[in-house]
Amino acid sequence: MAPPPQIAITGAGVIGAFGRGMDTLDRALRVAREGVGRLTLWQSELADFPVGQYHGDLDADLSDVPGLTPRIRKRLSRSDALALVASAEAVKQAKLSPDVLIGAHMGQSVCGTLTSELLYVEARRRAKAGESTRLNLSGALVHEGANTLDRMADVFKLRGPTMSYMTACSSAANAIGLAVDVLRNGRAEVMLAGGADSLSRIAFNGFCSLKVVSPDGPRPFDRDRQGMMVGEGAGILVLETLDHARTRGAEVLALLTGYGHSCDAYHLTAPHPEGKGAIVAMREALSMAGLQPGDVGYINAHGTATRDNDSTEARAISEVFGNVPVSSTKRFTGHTLAAAGGIEAVISLWALRHKTLPVNLGLRSPLEDAALDLVTEARSAPGLKHVLSNSFGFGGNNAALLFSEA
Amino acid sequence: MGVVVTGLGVVSALGPNPAAFRRALLDGVNACALHEFERFDGSVVKAPAYMAVPAEPERLIEPRKLRRMFRLARMSAVAARQALKHAELDPSTLDPTRLGVCFGTGFGALDPTQKFMDSWLDNGEANASPLQFMNSVHGIMASQIALDINAQGVNLTTAQRDICFEGALDTAVQLLESKRADVILVGGGDELTPMLHEFASRTQLFVRENLSGLDPWGSRRGIVPGDGAAVFVLERDDSSRRSLARVVGVRTGRWDHGGELARETWEASDSPEIGLFTNNRDGGARSAKLNDQQDELLGNIGDATVLSHRGNFGTSPSAGVLQFAANVLMLSNGEFYQPLASGKPAGVKVAPPKTVLHNAPSISGNHAAYVLTK
Repeated sequence: MAPPPQIAITGAGVIGAFGRGMDTLDRALRVAREGVGRLTLWQSELADFPVGQYHGDLDADLSDVPGLTPRIRKRLSRSDALALVASAEAVKQAKLSPDVLIGAHMGQSVCGTLTSELLYVEARRRAKAGESTRLNLSGALVHEGANTLDRMADVFKLRGPTMSYMTACSSAANAIGLAVDVLRNGRAEVMLAGGADSLSRIAFNGFCSLKVVSPDGPRPFDRDRQGMMVGEGAGILVLETLDHARTRGAEVLALLTGYGHSCDAYHLTAPHPEGKGAIVAMREALSMAGLQPGDVGYINAHGTATRDNDSTEARAISEVFGNVPVSSTKRFTGHTLAAAGGIEAVISLWALRHKTLPVNLGLRSPLEDAALDLVTEARSAPGLKHVLSNSFGFGGNNAALLFSEA
Repeated sequence: MGVVVTGLGVVSALGPNPAAFRRALLDGVNACALHEFERFDGSVVKAPAYMAVPAEPERLIEPRKLRRMFRLARMSAVAARQALKHAELDPSTLDPTRLGVCFGTGFGALDPTQKFMDSWLDNGEANASPLQFMNSVHGIMASQIALDINAQGVNLTTAQRDICFEGALDTAVQLLESKRADVILVGGGDELTPMLHEFASRTQLFVRENLSGLDPWGSRRGIVPGDGAAVFVLERDDSSRRSLARVVGVRTGRWDHGGELARETWEASDSPEIGLFTNNRDGGARSAKLNDQQDELLGNIGDATVLSHRGNFGTSPSAGVLQFAANVLMLSNGEFYQPLASGKPAGVKVAPPKTVLHNAPSISGNHAAYVLTK
């Protein structure tokens, strides 16, 4: 039996607390510029907790999205806008011609909540004040999970398989991994895959209610870590079979060689204490890629900087890979929830392309749960051939993606 | 394609289990009734809806465990347990890492989301309820089922508006075919909450009158909403011990026309003549226009009757899962269920089908289609 077609990455786009675009990300990673900042999107009693907010001019950024009509623009949530800006960068880099059959997989969690949650808040306020609860409900239309994908379809003239996956903080990684089967089955010639999420009151207040948000930003894998930082952004890849990419003369940035996925079935929010599901996902990704643990030269960890995640992830990585170089880049980006797997896929790509391991920003005293080679400053890795990226979500949802040099 | 349905579970307005669902379809039961919905200002309105009956544990789930779940999770978890029982599968005897869950839901955990917002609006942001937040996450639907049955394999929640179930089905079939799992529970569900009812009524998406029920062939401005959940056990044909129906083709995605997608799905499935077309007509004006166009496009596939059972069980973004249940039951039992229109039999004459083509065009431009055979 012929081996399944290899999957090439021919475009990447990104936006987040570090700024917009691959060049800005490159500079942030090189100079270790953290994305820790203040929440300015709405007034909050909890605004002392920092966030990974995108502080660029999103409206101006949208002007660079080709095909964005005023009619579509009116129907965008902040998540949609982040997704479109990152997708436009990825599509531009891939130099896709308009006749290509493009599908898309998006990972999402917050969606248009930032807009729609206000409707409820306002409806309740008016009801309490005895005022009419008749509201302009156009904002409710952006609430649904599929809105971002639909707007991407409008703008990029998608015609092929499309699906929105919601597996909390592993959504984008699953959306990317599941696109492999679509391409291998020949159901699309090209897939846009990744994730996007904006900040929202529900997510921010929710993580604060769980007491897992740090007052001074995340310090992943630090012994004294105090928690995560909620962020926002988008990370999108253009995927196609290697043959398809070569035939059309596209530059291949890297290969997506492995994807593993599992569920802890242990707790709604806490990871399995021994990282059982994470181990399954990482081993599955290795097996799909036909690689041994020693082949992987760097792991971009989920590394949220919560007490539970970092301990169990460190143990799980150590169990599968031993003492491999690891860093979490959450202090650059914040935890961008459903977008995390997309943004970190782009960072993994950056590591492979530049043969450089990004620093585990915020680390002062490494945790003692497992012996890991934590990257304490950006490090050159000339022999780097394979990078693994972990994304874990609520419900014990685990996804691991493996990227290899082209 | 070699994927078969080996078990099903349903909690809907037509009853708390598959037997009740089938009986009600055979008897032409109209489940539309007046229900009370509390408004934001505390007032209560009565409006027609197809609300699912309470999910009963029926010795499938510990009642205490069930009580801790919110309504949609309860319906879904019970339907999953029913499906496993129907498939004669004990999850504890399976390799948990090869047992997966794919669940489609348009709105997800609406009730916990509203309660979470209430918790901070009532008590301040610093005192928001962590429990309601945990349950409010959209992906929690597939996770809740996995947690109950110890399914450690693939676990995905899909949200693609009115084809969210068909998307979950498409994903599950691909995962089984690529051997990423051996058994997948695929399902869908949505809950009709007072918040959803108020917002949808204000946009005139839901009607306040029309107690006689939904007429799928109608084209009114508003629709009669419903809720419920259903779950199916899917296995590869080579590993299954039994089969209620075979999934011989399924597609979801962005096509110029749903009809084009349905035709491609049917042609790729190598199926014999289509015995019945089902679709997602819900009596709304936008659905009517789209489905009229689709029916015309499908005319050259065959002259089978086109119908929707949403007049029996109501409509929601994931109501396709209930149509799938009706289609599986028709095929496996060699029966035909007369669809209702405004609570009355539509007078459609069709022999029990051996092949069903379901076409789910969506106003969003994303469409879905599947072919089921006996």
